[in-house]
Amino acid sequence: MVSKTEEAQVNRLENQVDNGGGGAWEYLCLVRTLKLRRSDKVLKHGLSILNDPKKRSSLGPDEWTLYEQVAIAAMDCQCLDVAKDCIKVLQKRFPDSKRVGKLEAMLLEAKGSWVEAEKAYTSLLEDNPLDQVIHKRRSAMAKAQGNTSGAIEWLNKYLEIFMADHDAWRELAEIYVSLQMYKQAAFCYEELILSQPTTPLYHLAYADVLYTLGGLENLQTAKKYYASTIDLTGGKNTRALLGICLCTFSIGELTKGRNKEGKESSDLQCLAAAALEKDYKQRAPTKLALLNSTLKSLKLSS
Amino acid sequence: MGGEFRYQIGQNAYIKFVLHALKHKTSAVNGVLLGRLSGADTNPVVEITDSVPLFHSQIGLLPPLEIALIQIEEYYGAQGLNIVGYYHANERFDDFELGNVAKNVGDHIYRYFPQAAVLLLDNKKLGALPNGKDRSPVIQVILIWDRTPKTMFSYTLPFLHAKATKLYTREMSKSWKVVGSDGSSQLTIKEPSANIVLLDYISSEKWQDIIDFDDHLDDISKDWLNPELFK
Repeated sequence: MVSKTEEAQVNRLENQVDNGGGGAWEYLCLVRTLKLRRSDKVLKHGLSILNDPKKRSSLGPDEWTLYEQVAIAAMDCQCLDVAKDCIKVLQKRFPDSKRVGKLEAMLLEAKGSWVEAEKAYTSLLEDNPLDQVIHKRRSAMAKAQGNTSGAIEWLNKYLEIFMADHDAWRELAEIYVSLQMYKQAAFCYEELILSQPTTPLYHLAYADVLYTLGGLENLQTAKKYYASTIDLTGGKNTRALLGICLCTFSIGELTKGRNKEGKESSDLQCLAAAALEKDYKQRAPTKLALLNSTLKSLKLSS
Repeated sequence: MGGEFRYQIGQNAYIKFVLHALKHKTSAVNGVLLGRLSGADTNPVVEITDSVPLFHSQIGLLPPLEIALIQIEEYYGAQGLNIVGYYHANERFDDFELGNVAKNVGDHIYRYFPQAAVLLLDNKKLGALPNGKDRSPVIQVILIWDRTPKTMFSYTLPFLHAKATKLYTREMSKSWKVVGSDGSSQLTIKEPSANIVLLDYISSEKWQDIIDFDDHLDDISKDWLNPELFK
């Protein structure tokens, strides 16, 4: 997960390198640290360094890390020959290395040789049963073969051991959402909010899932979490502001005729609408009219 | 029924769809198709004149979809165009199934436009595009097959348009059927050289410029109408 500033920084560097302004190594390091998936760029710029003997030797021991990074990027781009070459270089330098063994197994996976890859991962796990990356590869393989329930099973097993892996919880939640298993997705986001209560992304995702589940109680809780997202983001999150409006409208629809929630709820909706209008006026004036008619259709509840 | 209508997609609508999918190679993407029904009763054609890329993450969530549909209907309604279909590209290369989320959105659109089509990106065809001189669209067309739902159960969703009740067919997998793939003329592209233009855009990495509704919600200064895309 990346912050806006980090993403801006990476994009700036990427632009610079793409246009011949240098900085390829800094870019590759940043992508590696932030764990971004920009395989086509990594492949292109990584290879430009590796294929140039002068640049390569100036890296020193980091050369091998770059080979590893480029190998993985090559596999992601289905350039399996490039990946094989990188792995060969690493094998020569580090014979009998488990880390290189992992790359070999990943190459089998990239080729689609699922059975061999599974065997390779199993044997690697025997020697190192706590290797998180390999555990997760199993779930990835299931997902790649279209076996979503298998992917879920592997991820759940993984999370029983490594319950602090936020990325895994997020991946699981996203798989659940794609299968419309919203209750299970909600559970994942609850875990994430418990362990990282000040991360607005989780509050927002949780609210979205609750809204999708529907029902009065879920909508009311969703509204609370949209509100907490707004709180955590200083009122800048468009999705949360719109979420408030949607929730208020839907709650109004469901409670028509019963006792209303009181002025408090319409105040919140008004504030959210005002914040949205202000933002659109400033940053997206061409869309202001559309926003206003959207808000109007959401206020027509009572 | 489903087989009677022809579908014609304009170049811009078609290219936006493919570029959207290419921008987000590692996730599923979706969008809506805008257009109108034209031609007399003797030769009805659904003209798809434009498309709006919607999302590339967490496609199964309602709030962004509801907001998007309100705004899209408002904007295009003023131009006399309807939402006539939905497009979807799967996350995996060899996945040719229409998932449940896509079917649900398709069902929803179908209720307002009975000739609605769901277009699914054909990844294999897209991959083969640079090789051949294929003029047919790199899309599978999926149409509603069974118009009268056999068994129904109600499912409550605070979906704005459906106003708290939505009906699904129990046998969902039978309700959308693939038609018109591989050579059939069910779906044609209006401009015959569209694939050539598309290849050109692909080689110039034009997909980087496409904005979808997700991008807009993350940064409202980005315009989901993509007014500058083809200029």
